[in-house]
Amino acid sequence: MVETPAIFEINPNSGVPIYRQIVDQVHAMVAGGTLREGDLLPSVRQVAQNAAVNPMTVSKAYSRLEIEGVVKRARGLGMQVLPPSENGSLDDRKAQFRTTIEPALHRARQLGLDSQQIREVILSLLQKTQSDVVTGGSPVTDPEKKATGGPPVAT
Amino acid sequence: MNEPVLRVAQLQKIFGNKEVLRGIDLAVEPGTVLGLLGANGSGKTTLIKCALGLLRPTSGNIMVFGEDSWNLSAAAKARLGYVPQEVTSYPWMRVRQVLAYTAAFYERWNHAFVQTLCERWHVPLEDRIGSLSTGQLQTVGIVLALGHQPEFLVLDEPVASLDPSARRQFLRTLLELLQDRQQTILFSTHITSDLERVAQRVAILGDGKIRFLGELDELKERVKRLRFTARHDLPTSFAVPGALRCEVAGSHATVSVANFDERLVAEMRQTWDADIAVNDLNLEEIFVEMHDGAHV
Repeated sequence: MVETPAIFEINPNSGVPIYRQIVDQVHAMVAGGTLREGDLLPSVRQVAQNAAVNPMTVSKAYSRLEIEGVVKRARGLGMQVLPPSENGSLDDRKAQFRTTIEPALHRARQLGLDSQQIREVILSLLQKTQSDVVTGGSPVTDPEKKATGGPPVAT
Repeated sequence: MNEPVLRVAQLQKIFGNKEVLRGIDLAVEPGTVLGLLGANGSGKTTLIKCALGLLRPTSGNIMVFGEDSWNLSAAAKARLGYVPQEVTSYPWMRVRQVLAYTAAFYERWNHAFVQTLCERWHVPLEDRIGSLSTGQLQTVGIVLALGHQPEFLVLDEPVASLDPSARRQFLRTLLELLQDRQQTILFSTHITSDLERVAQRVAILGDGKIRFLGELDELKERVKRLRFTARHDLPTSFAVPGALRCEVAGSHATVSVANFDERLVAEMRQTWDADIAVNDLNLEEIFVEMHDGAHV
C-alpha cells in the first residue's frame, strides 16, 4: 500500500527542524499502527512538492529513519516500513526514560512533595496505564471474567 | 571534484570611510541552497554584488566556478543567473521583445521553459515594461534570470514585491529546479518563512561579519529559549554560559542560548533550584534573538 504524501503534517515555520518533524511522525505512526510492516512511505518528491519544502530535507529524514532501522530502501519501490523492533537495549531504554522523568521529579520536589507522596502518584499512574493496556489489549485475557472472580460453569 | 560554486575568502569592502564587509568567509557547494539573512544595511547586497563581480572588493578573494569574480569569462557568466533587488529593463519594450532580446545573448536559452513560466505566472507578454507593476516587473526579472538555465542562481530579495500566492508559486518552481537539476542557489531575503522551506544552509550577516554559517536544522537545534522558574528569587550572580539574551525578574528568567545542551540544563536545574522549560525557536525568532542580543 502506498501512503498519500499528505500523511505528514509539516510546519516549516516551527522551531522543530522539518526532518525532525517527519522522523517523529513516522515513529508515531508506526507505534500507533497507522504504518504497518511493508507499507511504503510517500516518495521524497511527493512529500517535497506537497509540503513545498526542499527535497533534500525529506531525504535527510528518510535516511535517518533508515539508520534507525524503522524503514529500509526497497529497490524500485521506495522506503518500506520494517517490523517494529525494540529501540536499543534495555539499559538504553531505561536511560531514555530516566531523562524524561528527572525533570518531573524535580518539579515534584519544588511542589513540596516528599518521596512517599511521589511514589504514591507514580504507582497510581502505573496502575491506571496498566489497566488501560489490559482492557485495550488482545482478547486473550478477559478482564470482566477475572473481575467477577466466578468460576466457569461446568456442565 | 566537488569544488564550491562560490568561494568567498576574507572579503572586505569599504565605501568611503564605511567598512560594510569586514572579513567574510563562505562557500556555496554545488546542488545546495544557501539562505542569506541580515538586517537592513548589514551588507547582503554588497556581498552579492562582490560575488558576481558587479562591485570590486577592497580586499579578499572571490571565486565563482573557480574563476576570479572580477574577471569572469563569458562562459562562466553564461552559467550564472541573477535576480537583483530592483529589476531594471527597457521601459519602451514589450515584455515579449525583452525576452527575445535577452534570449539572443544565450546559447542555451530554453524557449519552452520560458513559455511555461510565463503562463504559470501570468506574465503580460504584450504589455510594455514601463507599464508593469513592481511585482510584475520582478516576475519578468525572475523569468529572465532562469531562461538560460543557469547552474548557479543568485537571488537578492527576489520576492519582496510578490503577493503570498505568487511567492509560493515561485518557491515551488525553485524546488522543482532543485529536484530536477540539482540547482545551486544563493538566496537573500527578509522573509524567513521562505528560507525555512528551501534553504539547507543559512548565513546570518550582522555588522559586516558572518554571525552564523551552517545547517538550518543545526541552528534550530542549537538555539533555544529557556524559561526558569526558581523557588526563590534568582541571585544577582545568575548567568548562563553562551547566552544570547538574558532577562531576570525575581524568581523568573528568560534566557536564549546559542548552544543548547540537555546536560547543561539538568545541571542548571540543580544549581539554581529552578524548573526549566525549553522552547523551540523558528528562524524569525532566532534571527531576532541574535540581532537584538548583539546590541544589548
